[in-house]
Amino acid sequence: MSKQKKRQPDQKKLLTPARQLIGLVMLFFFLGFLLLAAWMRTEGSGDWTKALILAGAVPALVYVGVLGIPRLFPGDRLLLSLANFLCALGVLILFRLNPYRGMRQTLAYFVGVVAMLLCAVFFRVIRKWKPWVILLMIISVVLLALPLVYGTEIYGAQNWVTLFGFGFQPSELVKISLLVAVCWLLSERKVIWAVGLTGVSLGLLMLQKDLGTALLYYGTVLTALWASTGSTLLLLGGMAGAAGGAYVGYRMFAHVKKRVAVWQNPWADRQDAGYQIVQGLIAIANGGLWGLGLGLGNPKVIPASENDYIFTVICHEFGVLFGIVVLLIYLAIVLRGISIARRTDSAFYALLALSCSVMLGLQTFVIVGGNIKLIPLTGVTLPFISYGGTSLVSSLCLVGVLQGISARTQADLHPAPRRPQSSRPASRRKGGKK
Amino acid sequence: MKQLRINIRRAAFVLAGLFLVLILYGGYALGNYGSRWFSTNANAYLRSVKNNVIPGDILDRNGVLLAGSEVTVYQDGTFTWERTYAEDEAVRRANVHALGDSQGKVSNAVESFMASYLYGFKQTVWDRLSGLMTHQMRKGDTLTLTLDADLSGFIERAVLADKSLPDPVRGAVVVMNWQTGEVLCLMSFPSFDPARDESLTSLTGQPYFNRATQGMYAPGSAFKIVTLSAALRNAKLQNRSFTCGGVYLPDGSEAHRIVDYGTSTAEGTVVSHGQSDLLRAFSVSCNNIYAYAAVEMGDDALRAEAMNFGFNENFLFRDIVAENSSYPDEDRSPWEVALTGIGQSRLQMSPLHLCLITSAIANDGVMMEPRLLKQAVSSAGMPRLTGSGASYRRVTDADTARTVRDAMLMAVSGSSGTGGAAAVSGWTICGKTGSAELDGQANTNAWFTGFIADARAPYAVTVLLEDAGSGGAYAAPLAGKIFKRLTSR
Repeated sequence: MSKQKKRQPDQKKLLTPARQLIGLVMLFFFLGFLLLAAWMRTEGSGDWTKALILAGAVPALVYVGVLGIPRLFPGDRLLLSLANFLCALGVLILFRLNPYRGMRQTLAYFVGVVAMLLCAVFFRVIRKWKPWVILLMIISVVLLALPLVYGTEIYGAQNWVTLFGFGFQPSELVKISLLVAVCWLLSERKVIWAVGLTGVSLGLLMLQKDLGTALLYYGTVLTALWASTGSTLLLLGGMAGAAGGAYVGYRMFAHVKKRVAVWQNPWADRQDAGYQIVQGLIAIANGGLWGLGLGLGNPKVIPASENDYIFTVICHEFGVLFGIVVLLIYLAIVLRGISIARRTDSAFYALLALSCSVMLGLQTFVIVGGNIKLIPLTGVTLPFISYGGTSLVSSLCLVGVLQGISARTQADLHPAPRRPQSSRPASRRKGGKK
Repeated sequence: MKQLRINIRRAAFVLAGLFLVLILYGGYALGNYGSRWFSTNANAYLRSVKNNVIPGDILDRNGVLLAGSEVTVYQDGTFTWERTYAEDEAVRRANVHALGDSQGKVSNAVESFMASYLYGFKQTVWDRLSGLMTHQMRKGDTLTLTLDADLSGFIERAVLADKSLPDPVRGAVVVMNWQTGEVLCLMSFPSFDPARDESLTSLTGQPYFNRATQGMYAPGSAFKIVTLSAALRNAKLQNRSFTCGGVYLPDGSEAHRIVDYGTSTAEGTVVSHGQSDLLRAFSVSCNNIYAYAAVEMGDDALRAEAMNFGFNENFLFRDIVAENSSYPDEDRSPWEVALTGIGQSRLQMSPLHLCLITSAIANDGVMMEPRLLKQAVSSAGMPRLTGSGASYRRVTDADTARTVRDAMLMAVSGSSGTGGAAAVSGWTICGKTGSAELDGQANTNAWFTGFIADARAPYAVTVLLEDAGSGGAYAAPLAGKIFKRLTSR
């Protein structure tokens, strides 16, 4: 597709459409933090200087993330820009909600970008997977077992671990290792092993009462299983199994039962159990189509506004139309990931790219669906945006895996060129020749 | 590998479908319930806004001020406001349930349900900018409602002056335009004066409760409008002649007797209407024939017709929050079905809903959506289109509606009609009385619902007086006074 030396004139042009767009995105965040600085100053908060720092730092991070990384690594620019936009949006909203956490999220964003790059390079370079898969399988199970030994309970689920004064959520990191292992096993036709590994992981998650994450793992692995075997019977059986599991979970866990009841009618108990859902819906209604404006709403009344309910905060202050745009960005990321899956020639990479995309898509659907009361609320984070270092890093790592596969596919297709990243449309080049 | 690619593509479609569901459901939920979520008293944001924005004024259809605000500005530039109300106490009391009050004693009224207008949420950026240039303080939209202050004040005085009614009067009056759905009066008794700070303990009969929209009552014989419409569309019943023998036993058991109003076992009197068709039986409000008709057509047919008329429906009107009416779904023995046919059993509806049904009959079977809002004007003077009358749905076909109207005309102007007291000479008044029995209540609830079949004064009136007596003797005369007022303007 791109064996060309005609790139020189384009590179000289400073304002390519992609750069214009990135410029606009950077301006958006620059103005956003500037606005927050002004607002915090009038409110008498000392954090306004931090907002000023972020007004420079976050656009710079976006610049490095979107335009800098492709210089080091032949990645997929579209995927990079979309994921970076969401991460920066998360930092902006979190800083507005809680400056301290906003600063921490900026750090996590930086770490995440580095982790993404490492993942991408790893998946670009590694050729012999078998020893790595065995290692990843062991890591997955050990990490998932950790919370049962060292765990702390948050919101009814025991899925946090604090090691050496550093808290993290193993189930977020295991997402990647488990998907890699399962997809490789499936591509090698070792279905029993794949199912066994998933079963053990799900069992460990159930023991931690982390049902939201268990649901995500299950849905993703089931999709991969179905895609690799093509068996509809398996798919239906898996869905029936999920329904059965949901029923057992409903009967076994009091907090699941309560969530379902509250989902059916949150207004009946709007001061207590239904408070979160009701306040989320009210926040969305307050925002309306165009939103109340950054800093002008009162999103803090929503419980977990920084984690599970951050989507309602977006709708509250930026408006429902913006919320829909955010959803479409997620969809674009998912579809881009799936197109990467369709381009590769190796079953393993195809399955892995599919699983990463499905994981991101499903997670977004589950939490946003819970926010708008389409489905019962399950406590998972909104990828890229919710507060939480582990979650942000793992989401970016999923993107990194996709980047690695994308780069590898391009290299396989065009082994010769030294810098094979460019994918400019052919018509453009023709235009240049005239 | 090829199969894998196809499956991957399928997965893409499924995921895209999931996101589409999210967006569509979100849009649907926000569009239908957004204003209800917003106006709930759990909305902390709305409460905080009330400190910074002066609510817009509320005017009646003729421009009479129903609610304004008195603003106190302090030295430091901050301000507080207090609601002021109409000058006439009767007008204040008559409209307090429709309007609500700034303290939120009455729920789901204009003050809360239309808060998005009153506190300027519907204003555009342009409105806000021009508002900033002309005013120091932010003010919400001024609302012109469809309510009629003069008429409601008249009704309030008429009810309070009528010494034959129980004290305090409990009930509701709804007046609406059956062509457009505009609501002129939405009154509940007993009422209270929002301008006076009366404590609840000094008031009796739950004055904060809006009986017109939230009260759930058995409609009694007024439900025969629905039963008649169903019977007219039933081949077995439409042209038949019936005989009323005074007592009807739907399941043969002596304990389950359907008798007519006025029958008393103690005095040994039995009221019977003899030979009669559906229309005449309607005008004299014969329970036996209508209970019989209900049993003959069966529960499913009657329920289907009731659902056409809006029973068991989740009412999502744009301007009014109304409790949903219900058609019972358990224990459908012949005895229960017979009772349902004459509006008893566990049938529940609000006076507003009965007025909507009556309006639909007047409007050739098309029910109009009830409206309260005529116009909203921003503080900068920009009018906002709020949408005019919209039809809600067709409840019955035009021919049936006209036949029901004939029956209702007979009930008011016929020689033995039960609603004669509502008649106004020179005008075509149609109506139906109801006397709903309630366990543990001495007298029946008196109902009258009717309309003026004349495009010069296209109004429908529904009156409910709790524990008053028969509909013909108590509710119909009040409706008559309202009709007279409506036709003499």
